[in-house]
Amino acid sequence: MVLAKFVEVGRVVKINYGPQEGRLATIVEILNDKRVLIDGPTTGVQRQVIPIRRLTLTKFNLKGATRGARTGVITKAIKKSDPFAQYAQTVAAKKVAKKALRAKLNDFDRFRVMILRKRRSALLSTQLKSLKKNTGGKAQTQAKGGNKKK
Amino acid sequence: MPAKKRTVRIGNWYKSDDENVHFVRKRKAPRPAKLRKIVPGQVLILLAGRFQGKRVVFLKQLKSGLLLVTGPFKINGVPLKRVNSAYVIPTSTKVDVNGVNAGQVDDDYFKRTQAQRRKNEQGFWAKRGELTAEQQAAEKTRLDGKRKTQKSIDDALIAAVKKTPLLKQYLGARFSIGKTTRPHELVF
Repeated sequence: MVLAKFVEVGRVVKINYGPQEGRLATIVEILNDKRVLIDGPTTGVQRQVIPIRRLTLTKFNLKGATRGARTGVITKAIKKSDPFAQYAQTVAAKKVAKKALRAKLNDFDRFRVMILRKRRSALLSTQLKSLKKNTGGKAQTQAKGGNKKK
Repeated sequence: MPAKKRTVRIGNWYKSDDENVHFVRKRKAPRPAKLRKIVPGQVLILLAGRFQGKRVVFLKQLKSGLLLVTGPFKINGVPLKRVNSAYVIPTSTKVDVNGVNAGQVDDDYFKRTQAQRRKNEQGFWAKRGELTAEQQAAEKTRLDGKRKTQKSIDDALIAAVKKTPLLKQYLGARFSIGKTTRPHELVF
């Protein structure tokens, strides 16, 4: 396996531990083999020194980040090419977002989700039945139909 | 001279058997009960009693401090009812109660009538059929009046409930906790 995610200036990282847990930032400078300087002006992370142990490296890089760049420079670079928005498209980020959404559901929302899931499963099973009938038992379940569920 | 209830001690004062001395603390006015942030029209989950788990609509707080709720009756079988706010979970779902007039319902509406209490007069063995004709007629009009009030309040409510999809089914369903639910993490 080729190593692809390096600790380097511009690497987008996710903070795993501490008060900023879950937020994204960019590596601005590498101090030693254990600590880096990160900054996340658009994600609410203050410019700070943090141990690498508390970070997860993502596969995204901030283009235009130079070593020791000040917050203003970083902000400009983010405006040009936003790696944080790209990160939000990944499966991992979407899973986190889904979990956060599910935690926010109120009692009525949870009831609606339950009813919609039942309806979807009923739709799927009728589709499956008709497919089985038509192709004599060699049917495959259809891809997710219906509207997007929470 | 008439004996006073609370007298000055004279040496050893031994109370006679039939003297009942109470220190009565008189409350001048009923203390208004504090209401957590529960708003008219809010859906509440009842936690105790025959209707536990049912989701009901809150109408107003009565003078006694109890909450007046209704199912609505047609949706989940809960009539106009008084409920203690300690045994209730307020949800963030609200129904529009602008058209609902619960003004005529108060604590007296729920007071037991003479007919209901006659059982105590006649003792343990009194049966329902032993009401006089007069009492039966009075009971009938009383119950009809109650049905009317229930209906007038519920009709306005049900019209409002129908506007939101699935709200009627929601009110008809009971709340329950499964094996994996974490109540302390639930947002209501």
